[in-house]
Amino acid sequence: MAKEIFMPKLSSTMEVGTLLQWFKEEGESVDIGEPLFEIMTDKINIEVEAYDRGILLKKYFQPDDQIPVNQVIGYIGEPGEKVPDEPPALSEESNEQSGEKTEQSETNEDAVEVKSNENGKVRATPAARRLAKETKVDLRNIVGSGPKGRIHLKDVKQYLETEKAQPKASPLARKIAEHENIDLKALQGSGAGGKVMKQDVINAIQASSQKAQQPEVRKKLSGLRKVVADRMVQSAFTAPHVTLASDIDMTKAIEMRTALLPVVEKQTGFRLTYTDIIIKAVGTALSRFPEVNVHLEHDEIIYKNEVNVGVAVAVKDGLMVPVIKKVEQKGLAAICAEAKDLSKRAREQKLRPDELKGSTFTISNLGMYPIDVFTPIINQPEIAILGVGRTQEKTVVVNGEIVIRPMMTASLSFDHRVIDGAPAAEFLAEVKRILENPYEMIL
Amino acid sequence: MSNHVLPAFITDERLVELYKQMWLIRYFDEKVDQFFAKGMIHGTTHLCVGQEATAAGSIAVLQEKDKITSTHRGHGHCIAKGATVDRMMAELFGKVTGYCKGKGGSMHIADVEKGNLGANGIVGGGIPLAVGAALTSKMKNEGYVVLCFFGDGAANEGSFHESLNLASIWDLPVVFICENNQYGMSGSVKEMFNIENIADRAQAYGIPGKVIDGNDMLEVMNTVYEAVEHARSGKGPVLIEAKTYRWKGHSKSDAKKYRTREEEQEWRKKDPIKRFKEYLIDKGVLTEEKAEQLREEAFQEIEDAVKFAENSPEPSVDTLLEDVYA
Amino acid sequence: MREITYLEAVREAMSQEMRKNEDVYILGEDIGVYGGAFGVTRGMIEEFGPERVRNTPISEAAIAGAAVGSALTGMRPILELQFSDFITIAMDQLVNQAAKLRYMFGGKGKVPMVVRTPAGSGTGAAAQHSQSLEAWMAHIPGLKVVQPSTAYDAKGLLKAAIDDDNPVIFYEHKLLYKTKSHVPEEQYSIPLGKADIKREGKDVTIVATAIMVHKALEAAKELEKEGIDVEIVDPRTLVPLDEETIVESVKKTGRVVVVHEAVKRGGYGGEIASVIAESEAFDYLDAPIKRLGGLPVPIPYNPNLEKAAVPQVPDIIKAVKETVQFK
Repeated sequence: MAKEIFMPKLSSTMEVGTLLQWFKEEGESVDIGEPLFEIMTDKINIEVEAYDRGILLKKYFQPDDQIPVNQVIGYIGEPGEKVPDEPPALSEESNEQSGEKTEQSETNEDAVEVKSNENGKVRATPAARRLAKETKVDLRNIVGSGPKGRIHLKDVKQYLETEKAQPKASPLARKIAEHENIDLKALQGSGAGGKVMKQDVINAIQASSQKAQQPEVRKKLSGLRKVVADRMVQSAFTAPHVTLASDIDMTKAIEMRTALLPVVEKQTGFRLTYTDIIIKAVGTALSRFPEVNVHLEHDEIIYKNEVNVGVAVAVKDGLMVPVIKKVEQKGLAAICAEAKDLSKRAREQKLRPDELKGSTFTISNLGMYPIDVFTPIINQPEIAILGVGRTQEKTVVVNGEIVIRPMMTASLSFDHRVIDGAPAAEFLAEVKRILENPYEMIL
Repeated sequence: MSNHVLPAFITDERLVELYKQMWLIRYFDEKVDQFFAKGMIHGTTHLCVGQEATAAGSIAVLQEKDKITSTHRGHGHCIAKGATVDRMMAELFGKVTGYCKGKGGSMHIADVEKGNLGANGIVGGGIPLAVGAALTSKMKNEGYVVLCFFGDGAANEGSFHESLNLASIWDLPVVFICENNQYGMSGSVKEMFNIENIADRAQAYGIPGKVIDGNDMLEVMNTVYEAVEHARSGKGPVLIEAKTYRWKGHSKSDAKKYRTREEEQEWRKKDPIKRFKEYLIDKGVLTEEKAEQLREEAFQEIEDAVKFAENSPEPSVDTLLEDVYA
Repeated sequence: MREITYLEAVREAMSQEMRKNEDVYILGEDIGVYGGAFGVTRGMIEEFGPERVRNTPISEAAIAGAAVGSALTGMRPILELQFSDFITIAMDQLVNQAAKLRYMFGGKGKVPMVVRTPAGSGTGAAAQHSQSLEAWMAHIPGLKVVQPSTAYDAKGLLKAAIDDDNPVIFYEHKLLYKTKSHVPEEQYSIPLGKADIKREGKDVTIVATAIMVHKALEAAKELEKEGIDVEIVDPRTLVPLDEETIVESVKKTGRVVVVHEAVKRGGYGGEIASVIAESEAFDYLDAPIKRLGGLPVPIPYNPNLEKAAVPQVPDIIKAVKETVQFK
């Protein structure tokens, strides 16, 4: 005798379940406890196990079908056993039981559960039905304001207005999306007229979960990265960093560059950059502030005799600081040529070790990015580093008038073990002064 | 046969016609009885076999313009008032050629234009109608009289009393003829009346009342004629009670348990047709052969009527809703 | 245009017709010098004489039958049935004779008569003199049934009823006799079977008959204050019913309340409601059809109970509001 497979009542208020998928085909064998089909009800997806052993003889319903509780949906039995062609109708008893619950749920004004596939089972006035039919609205999507959830004309009208803002979707798609927190608007519907169907939602869910489920890429810190990491740690956690920022009026610097551009190009074949000017300015300032041009090694401050300015260069996977030696002795053209060469070779990883050593001060230029201020980490054993932001036209007050000047913020981080705020500020002020009066660099 | 002087306009030819007419009435109802017994006619019918004289005799003395109202047992009245048996038979067959286009049936045969204001299915239903028709005659000075037929049973309906009173106070030209066939369906007059003669009720309304032998063609003709002329002259209504007997049961489904075979036999002896024939032969108006011939003719006419009815078409269903309103 | 009462309008309709047409006469109880129980025929016997204004004995069966018989033979009688409750005694003549003769006789003969009769409660006349039995008459094929609500309607409809070749039952509401409206002096006819929109509106349709038309108008005034716009359709004739006007109105408003004084159970309101539900108006209904009618009780004598037995203005207001609440 074939055994019935029925839609189980999985909660006291469950009236209907939506079949999501079968796990077995007709003719396949089924064991007790094996997942046989999956249903969705009240926002929960549940796998239903087989209660019997045998061959799945018949499946009466398809995915997306909404089936009332206790409805026979299939049969398990011996191969060749006769089973009805049509699913047997729901018996009175089971109806009564769910009927009782219907009473309860009907008094719950908010919950208007759909009872069957037919539009006709929804309570709605004729006028509401007519409008719904005309506008191809599914009454099942509407919450009725009348007694027992009866849908009135105004409810349909209201729905149409909000629907305009809402994407078209099948009821099942909507339910799943709601449960899974998927925004329907974000989805492309594969149904008629761009209607979002269940499969679209499922695809979306899978896509996002795929991302989450991708194994994370792991990479060990090594090579240059490790070196930079170690050095940053060492510097940041041993030297107490204080950063001073100052806005510098680059008007004159720009003038000077413009004037010198063709000359330098003629001389070196390179274009003079602001970085080059800044290097020279810093170099000049450093020569006037020997207490900044020092190294700290262990407990000792070592006053350096040369001004060697390192210029941070971003390379693949890391940071390199090629050094321009004896800046105080070199003219702009020389600095320009050297800087270009060093940075080129830095990117090509063709720098000699000695070219990476010996800096007494470092400049880090992020001015090619929309960065104004930052807190650069000192390149130990140096005791200060100058960060350079972008030059931007800003409104400033000069002699009581608002003018527009090209301003650049310079950020000086210093090691407070070795130098205090005031002297550091003086140094920065000097850098500013030189840049704002660049012809001084000739002196 | 009583000694009566007939009205002058009743010629011998007329008498002979009347004799045949009585056979026509009898054979019509006999034939109808047969058909009903065979289940060939729809519904039910009420036969006046044995009461031919009251019908033929009363109506014989009317003028063309005079009108009648009849009862559920009205085939005789209808034939006497000029209805042809073929159209009557067709009506009973429910055919469109019938007097009522098949929509009235046995109890509602009428020919308003010819002054037959209809057989009536309600006992006593026609009595107020007759009064109304008489009212018209008076108000319009049309000078016609209405002959109102009803049975002993109707004499106990409220409508009878109301109508007699109304007619009497307005002196309406209506003659009320009660065909007392001794039974109102199964109720015998002995049981249902506290009086011997229904005609005595005329007194209650201050109008003349007369009891006659309803199976005496002559007496019927004479009495009715007097009454009709009384009414026509504006002297008001008259109530005539014609004692008679119906040979058949009330209707098709009557087992006649309420009366005895002996009683029936007694009354059959008073057969009005037989008596009229005897009178006519006696008077020299009719011979036995002629009488037989007329009977045959009557019989044949009924046979022809049946054929006519059988060959007539049914009313189309489309006519169902016709004639509800004028 | 002058204003006359409903009662005067009825008298005028009859008198004007009787002056023109010799075949028209009136009969009834106490309609002679007494002038009729409600005074409708006052003065008529003096004008037309006792032949044409026939005072009758208390014999409803006979006088109804006499009316039928005389109508069948060429007259055009107007029968005044003193109280519509007495139609019971005249029933056979009206139902089995008047309504059916023409049909039974295969289209021969006609019964051009009018039965005028006062109906309705409110005068303390109690159970046997206060009924509204128009549903009985509306049920019989062959009869026509008219229920005018105003003096203007009454005069026009009575003329049409007299001119009609069929038996017409003409119901006058007792409490309407004294109501007035503008009535043209000349003869005019309002066709039978044509409803009248007594008030135009867009939110809800009230189909009302006789005195309920007036109550509905009162209710409408109150409802207007709350922004509810009521349309009132007065069928005027019950048989034949102007279905089209009713259906169009309900299509427009989507809501309907049917109200009559007669007992709700088996009352003509059920017929009207069903006609609406069976029509295309169904697809436009946005609320269930409501019926108001008398309670299933004989009309009591006590005045408060008498009022409570039939729909009143507050009942109509309540019903309309219930219908409109899901607008």
